[in-house]
Amino acid sequence: MGEVTHKRLKPLQINPVKLSQPMGATLAFMGVDNCMPLMHGGQGCTSFTKVYFTRHFCEPIAIQTTAVTDALAVLDGGDYSIVESVKNICKKVSPSLIGLHTTGLPETKGDDMSWIAKQIDFPLVYVNTPDYEGGFESGWALTCKALIEQLVEPARIVNDNKLVLLPHISLTPLEVEKIKDFIEGFGFNVLALPDLASSLDGHLGEKQAALSSGGISVNEIKSLADAGVVISVGDSMQNSAAALLKKNPEMRHQHFSHLCGLEATDSLVELLLAETGFSSPPLTLARWRKRLQDAMLDSHFSLGQTRFLVVGEPDQLAGICQALSDVGGKVKVAISTVDSPQLVKLKADKVLVGDLEDAELLAAEYDLIIGNCHCEALAHRQNKGLVVRGFPNWEEVGNSLKHDLLYEGGAYFLFECANAATTHRAHLAAG
Amino acid sequence: MSQKPKIKELLVESACEHNQTRKAACNAPTPGATTGGCAFEGAQIALFPYADAAHLVHGPITCLGSSWETRATKTTWPGRDLTQVGFTTDINLNDVVFSGEQKLKDAIDYIMAHYRPEAVFVYATCVTAMIGDDLDQVCKQAAAKHGVPMVPVHAPGFVGSKNLGSRLGGEAALRHLIGTLEPETTTAFDINLIGEYNVTGDMWQYKHLLDELGIRVLATLSGDGRIREIRSAHRARLNVLVCAKSLISLTRKMQEKYGIPSISLSFYGRRDTSKGLLAIAEALGDTDLIRRTRTLIVREEAKLAAQLEPYRAVFAGKKAVLNTGGNKTWSIAAALQDLGIEVVATAVKKATEDDREKARAYLGDTGVLMMNPGAEQARLIDEKGAHLLLAGGRSLYTAIKKGIAFADVNQEKKKSYGGYAGLLNLAEDLKNALENPVFKLAARRAPWEK
Repeated sequence: MGEVTHKRLKPLQINPVKLSQPMGATLAFMGVDNCMPLMHGGQGCTSFTKVYFTRHFCEPIAIQTTAVTDALAVLDGGDYSIVESVKNICKKVSPSLIGLHTTGLPETKGDDMSWIAKQIDFPLVYVNTPDYEGGFESGWALTCKALIEQLVEPARIVNDNKLVLLPHISLTPLEVEKIKDFIEGFGFNVLALPDLASSLDGHLGEKQAALSSGGISVNEIKSLADAGVVISVGDSMQNSAAALLKKNPEMRHQHFSHLCGLEATDSLVELLLAETGFSSPPLTLARWRKRLQDAMLDSHFSLGQTRFLVVGEPDQLAGICQALSDVGGKVKVAISTVDSPQLVKLKADKVLVGDLEDAELLAAEYDLIIGNCHCEALAHRQNKGLVVRGFPNWEEVGNSLKHDLLYEGGAYFLFECANAATTHRAHLAAG
Repeated sequence: MSQKPKIKELLVESACEHNQTRKAACNAPTPGATTGGCAFEGAQIALFPYADAAHLVHGPITCLGSSWETRATKTTWPGRDLTQVGFTTDINLNDVVFSGEQKLKDAIDYIMAHYRPEAVFVYATCVTAMIGDDLDQVCKQAAAKHGVPMVPVHAPGFVGSKNLGSRLGGEAALRHLIGTLEPETTTAFDINLIGEYNVTGDMWQYKHLLDELGIRVLATLSGDGRIREIRSAHRARLNVLVCAKSLISLTRKMQEKYGIPSISLSFYGRRDTSKGLLAIAEALGDTDLIRRTRTLIVREEAKLAAQLEPYRAVFAGKKAVLNTGGNKTWSIAAALQDLGIEVVATAVKKATEDDREKARAYLGDTGVLMMNPGAEQARLIDEKGAHLLLAGGRSLYTAIKKGIAFADVNQEKKKSYGGYAGLLNLAEDLKNALENPVFKLAARRAPWEK
């Protein structure tokens, strides 16, 4: 916990890492099966988003736009564009849900989403996500909350074997799957909301998908409120957890800021042992815990002499900074896309809300960068090592199968960083 | 308002011969059934390649946050390559309520203090256009203060498509840059390359040939471009539109204002590259230049033929289905034919009348022009016995299902297929695709599904 600067000090962003709320909302809707995300705004927001995620995931991305034009922006309250969109979408495909999310344009003119949603006779969830507020992480979280508020049916009893996982946006599809598997190892039936594990994990489907293929089903969302346990991961997801508990106060909620490193994973195991009454976890988990312990010791020499810059979303920073500092890694600078209560808790000497120009100016303070592929040019110019994490990663294939958390992923993550640091030092030594 | 271009005029482009028969070039998009980028993206594509200028996007984070560093527009500019630097005011709620003009002014001052660009392009976006921030005024004041051109670009996304945005980008250059500076010297063979963005270094595949012929590229809009050069572009003898119908309004206006004639061509594939070089020489009208160009073409084609020799056997008898849009419907088809691959079908759904005519000319009577490629391509692969599908990533499934090779047409965003030398890149990539066992293997049925 070091010095934290919450406000951007410049009048502009230069080489931004920040992404917009509507893009976070799109991604959340991609975690619902058979869904058509519908972005309300000019056609460009949608086009940029589609291309962005297609390149990141190397998968086709289903999304539509209300295609607001200048004339409509003045004349229409949004209802015409949205009603027409729903009609036109349904001419071609049969989604189980339309995920309506806004952008800056309709929010500036004040389109009333709740009123418009009532005019539409089709399963639809709406969320207000202007891109001049919040960011990627909040767009995802607001969408998750909207899915809960608008779809989940209230319940009064709980099924102790059923568990709901609310993951933050920066968890990869495989990470969500690993958490589900981990918990299922204790005998739970786990449902994740949103669930990218089966939709954007990069699987060869039967045919090209015109809608999201995989993810939690609408019916599963509707009946989430009878789960015995709710686990939220990432501070951005706490409001979603609270919204779910309103549907059934009998549910037991446990929050984790992240699931990276030995201690956080131990806490999860303690919770699961307490919930199940088991005295020990599945054998494979115990085995992986020992491997992580060994990985920490094997990697500490390299990481202990490495100074880090970590760039990303607040919830993502929380986990990465913890995992590195656990083995003596010195996180000198953490750059967050947006402000968040998470920032004061980060294990970093200096935390700021900023961009990659800020990172460039602080280049003397770190050796290895952990951040998105925009950091590549920075690493090259400043002669730094780089481990690519977060959005976007357009340069490497296999992003959705990276996993850095729990005992198993934690071990892989430390190895990758330690090797990158060692390679970088050798590269510097060779001149 | 007087500073802003008249969008109606741009939509009804008199220089476009098809405008009588076609629906308005940029008619309103259908809600819920629209693909493709917005006007802002079009303007960005047209102007971002100026590496010595800062490109400041005045809007919320979506516009730039999702789009910077997405286009490999190469440059030889020795300073900091500003094509790969993203600048945005990232406006917040406060700016929406109380105006973002002050923030914009401060942002320009910051850029001038820290990056010293030759110009700043300031892009309006939907939100800042809606709240009425006065870009013209801010730019005028900033230009007076800093002594370099400040170019307001009025192409907010909601005015229309990418194509219209490119026109508006050209309009901004015409209004604020072209004709504001005299070139140090002029030659009889000065040309401008318009619409060549040098993505993956496409321009460099043929630029050295122009140099060798003594044809000087005075200015470009905007590949490997310089602000100083585009400012003096009005002294060129010829405008060369490279695969870019969207900028036809610009070249027409330059003809009216400065008397510069223009030609439109492509440098994709052997035949088009040769035709293009000759067309430039002929338009410049010098008999010696024409003779030298013919000699150069013979030499280059012979060199290419020798380099392609090892591929002949691989491509002999191979048939391809092409599913793309715009000028690629025929330009890639032509390049494939140059390699000895038969193009049995090409998609023309997302192509203009002009593109369709060209596609028909290249494919001849037997080739199929697909109006509904999503439904047609699988059937045509079977009927025609195609070996190769070139398409966007979504069509990979079709190729896998049919067990034939697949090549992503968007590869060209990573690697240049332009000019004579680019054809070798294309040949190598297609050979690799055709010889790769992965397409059949990946389609293998699981043991439990047999």
